[in-house]
Amino acid sequence: MDGTTAVKVVSLSPLPAWALAVLLLAVALGVGLASWGVRRERSAGRRWLLWTLRLLAGVLAVGFLLEPGQRKVNVARVKNRVAVLVDRSASMRFPVSKGGPSRADAVTQALQEQAPRMAALGERFGFELLGFDPELAPLSLESAASRPPDGQRTDLLGALNALKAQEVGSARKLSGVLVLSDGADTTGSLGTLDAAELKEALAGLGVAVSTAVVGQGGLEDVAVEGVKVDDFAFVRNSLTVEVAIRAQGFAGQVLPITLKREGQVIATKQVVVSQADQRSTVSFTFSPDQTGRFVYLVSAPVIPGEAITENNQKAFTLKVIRDRVRVLLVAGRPTWDERFLRGLLKQDPNVELISFYILRSNADEILAAESELSLIPFPRQEIFDTKIDTFDLIVIMNFGHAESGVSLADFRAQFDRYVKNGGALAYVGGDMSFSEARGRTPFDQLLPLEPAGPAVLADFHAKPTADGLRHPLVQVGGFGESTEALWAALPAVPGMNLTRAKPGATVLLENPDVPVGSAGAPLLAVWEVGRGRVLALGTDASWYWAFPSHAQGAPTRAYERMWGNAIRWLVRDPELTSLSVSAEAPQVDPGKPIAAVIQARTPDYQPAPNADVVVELQRADTGEVVGTQTVRAGADGVARVEFPAPGAGAYKLKAQSSRDGQPLGEAFDALAVRSLGPELSQAGTDAELLQAIAAATGGKFFTLDSLSVDELPLKEPPLVEVGRAKDEPLWDRWYWLLLLVVVAGAEWAVRRRFGYV
Amino acid sequence: MSSPPSSSLSRRAALAGALGSSAAWAFGDASKFVPAVAKHQGTWDTRLSGLTRLAWELQRATSVEVRLEPKPLALDSPELFTHPFLSLSTETELPPLSATEVEGLRRYVTFGGFLFVDAASGALDSPADRSLRRELARVLPQQPLKELPKTHVIYKSFFLLEGAYGRVLAQPGFEACVLNRRAAVVYSANDVLGALARDELGGFLYECTPQGEHQRKLAVRTALNVAMYALCLDYKDDAVHAPQILNRRR
Repeated sequence: MDGTTAVKVVSLSPLPAWALAVLLLAVALGVGLASWGVRRERSAGRRWLLWTLRLLAGVLAVGFLLEPGQRKVNVARVKNRVAVLVDRSASMRFPVSKGGPSRADAVTQALQEQAPRMAALGERFGFELLGFDPELAPLSLESAASRPPDGQRTDLLGALNALKAQEVGSARKLSGVLVLSDGADTTGSLGTLDAAELKEALAGLGVAVSTAVVGQGGLEDVAVEGVKVDDFAFVRNSLTVEVAIRAQGFAGQVLPITLKREGQVIATKQVVVSQADQRSTVSFTFSPDQTGRFVYLVSAPVIPGEAITENNQKAFTLKVIRDRVRVLLVAGRPTWDERFLRGLLKQDPNVELISFYILRSNADEILAAESELSLIPFPRQEIFDTKIDTFDLIVIMNFGHAESGVSLADFRAQFDRYVKNGGALAYVGGDMSFSEARGRTPFDQLLPLEPAGPAVLADFHAKPTADGLRHPLVQVGGFGESTEALWAALPAVPGMNLTRAKPGATVLLENPDVPVGSAGAPLLAVWEVGRGRVLALGTDASWYWAFPSHAQGAPTRAYERMWGNAIRWLVRDPELTSLSVSAEAPQVDPGKPIAAVIQARTPDYQPAPNADVVVELQRADTGEVVGTQTVRAGADGVARVEFPAPGAGAYKLKAQSSRDGQPLGEAFDALAVRSLGPELSQAGTDAELLQAIAAATGGKFFTLDSLSVDELPLKEPPLVEVGRAKDEPLWDRWYWLLLLVVVAGAEWAVRRRFGYV
Repeated sequence: MSSPPSSSLSRRAALAGALGSSAAWAFGDASKFVPAVAKHQGTWDTRLSGLTRLAWELQRATSVEVRLEPKPLALDSPELFTHPFLSLSTETELPPLSATEVEGLRRYVTFGGFLFVDAASGALDSPADRSLRRELARVLPQQPLKELPKTHVIYKSFFLLEGAYGRVLAQPGFEACVLNRRAAVVYSANDVLGALARDELGGFLYECTPQGEHQRKLAVRTALNVAMYALCLDYKDDAVHAPQILNRRR
């Protein structure tokens, strides 16, 4: 820092400022009053002469009061900083152009070329080289050349904010910033901002940020750049997934983009590439038909010559939840069974009930015009053909098919498809069901029970089977209550359809008084068909577990709990499972292990301490098991497992649990292991973003070839005083005093001459 | 809902066939509509034939399976709880119910039972009307009788009605005690069952005034709507029915 001498005029008066102010005011007042005294002078020349002399005398008096002097100061200009931020993320390993050097090497070379220019500016500016990966750290050209960039994120705003934080308390102020990057910001924090927002976001730095894009494009690559989808969706509700596709260098080609769920193709859309570097958005709209977490995969074809092939697909997980359970209740006739179930469902805020009852048959006679009735036609076609998939659960209550006008026999295929695709069906018996149906029903093949003879008309007490005692559906008691005792205390059921269980069915309740085979006649049974669940109840008197159960004065909620459990089990309510498994992270970066937490419960939903848990990690598309972990749950029924990092792709976790040899159930979860970290998932550059940053801050945008640090808009460093100041008085000269005497004397003489006293 | 398209099948033949075959297969009375009637110390049994006629009309006009014979039940009987429909009627002053009867009736309506109270005197402020209101106030002191609006589902549960009709027209509509949005007790001072009551020869026991047989027809429809409301609750309030009902009411 070389010093130069600066001179400035100062007051050397020892008087305080307020005293000087008073004296100056007095002088001004004196001059003013004196001038006022000659305002009536007729001769303008005389008047001006007097005014001039008095003003001059006043000025000289002020000069003596202020005691002017000159101060000689030694000053120097401070050297400010210019921060050169170099992107050290992994995407800087990509070549600048096809067959060219890496972006990182190109930066090193460009900085070496700029070194003389930086040196030329060295008197005023010190250039500091900093790398961000995304942490900001000092960098040297040597280390940049020897260590390849490996940052897993590019965060331009984060780097600039870190620079701003460094500025606080720093002796050397920042004059400007130069960012050397490919612009592929993986945080997305800047790319979505408009110009005004970008300006506001970068305003804190207070200096211009110039940018230089590294990479010339020209790479051939197809990338699934991003997937825009909510974290969760509602089952059977329309959902849109927006996929961002970038195609560089494949103009004229048509790319099929495929969306799959765990190996199953959901939809394929075409992207027509018409530009050398084209960004497209593809929308997939579909309705998930099951609750739970599922892993989806969006993929574009791999084309020979691509810079990266791993970024041609992107997996994501979607949690499908239920808004309200949409229940369709179809009753063959109004009965008390229908009436109590309706009352229950209507009171449940989690249920949306749609119901249709056959109020009149062909045999019924009404002496009234249609206009006098509230009856409407049964919209079978609309419900069971068009809208069947909108229902979470269909309850068929004692529905007959003898009349062609109301029969559902024509909808067998729709019911089959509905259940196999994940729908739930509850079939409730009565005098028009099972053996009493007088003919096949469209549900026969879906039901876990089949007719075994005429109805049983004797009262009986429903008894849970061994399977039933382990099943959530018949757990009608509160904490600590015996399920068996509760069922035994419920009113007897006045009759049932006689059925037998089909192979694979799980009988939950039986009539112990009537044997069918080696067991009691099944009353309540369940099974799974495809992805759906089916319940069959062989009586139209389940309401006996409701209203009549209050006869003895002991209120019971067995009916409400039984049907509540049934609905939740049928629609696969995640809460109604004795085992749950959930991946700690549904999206896992490459190279990271997969961790999962398992919660085991007993059939009455209490924690299952010391439960044995086996967890398999399977490929979602093929079911191939890639890892198995066996653990024992703790006292709270919770266990945790961890799998070593698998390859990229979609995976399912399958957990099975048992305690004391009794199975507690199984559970599933899904997760996606990214094929590449976000940093390497796109090979392209984002010159627009860098250009916008430069424009927002008053900086200049360069390509690497056009970069010249001479042209950087830099804030000039300020001058600062160095050494002691030397004061020399200017007022204590004899000629100033003589001039004052002459002026005052002349003024006095002229005034006398003109006749003023 | 719900009306199937007309069929060439004879109604009588179909009804006979259905009744004939179902007799061997049905599960007894468990899910049938049984016209239960409350036994009390007053004139409880003067409208039994009206209840029988209600069940008969219900079977004739709707798909509901019924038992025709009324089932008399004491108000403190546990058997009440297997009959969700109960009629309470008196021509004269109803003697005060015992504490156990009041408690039994309260439990009955609270846990899901439906009580149709029909003042057979056919007059407001009559001894029967006053005593029935008095006892209902003892049963449900927190839910007093209130007039049901004409938009209530009971006026469209099967027939589209403008009011509640009976042997007389002492009041234009029903009153009700409402529990959890359910009309658990429905009250009429119009002697609805009186309009349906018949003698042993099949003739009507009482004249309907002032509109005669037209009023009797409407009274039958009123009784059917009460039974259908007990069985279906607010089914006809579902959105799917609204456009057609609105159109027919214009």
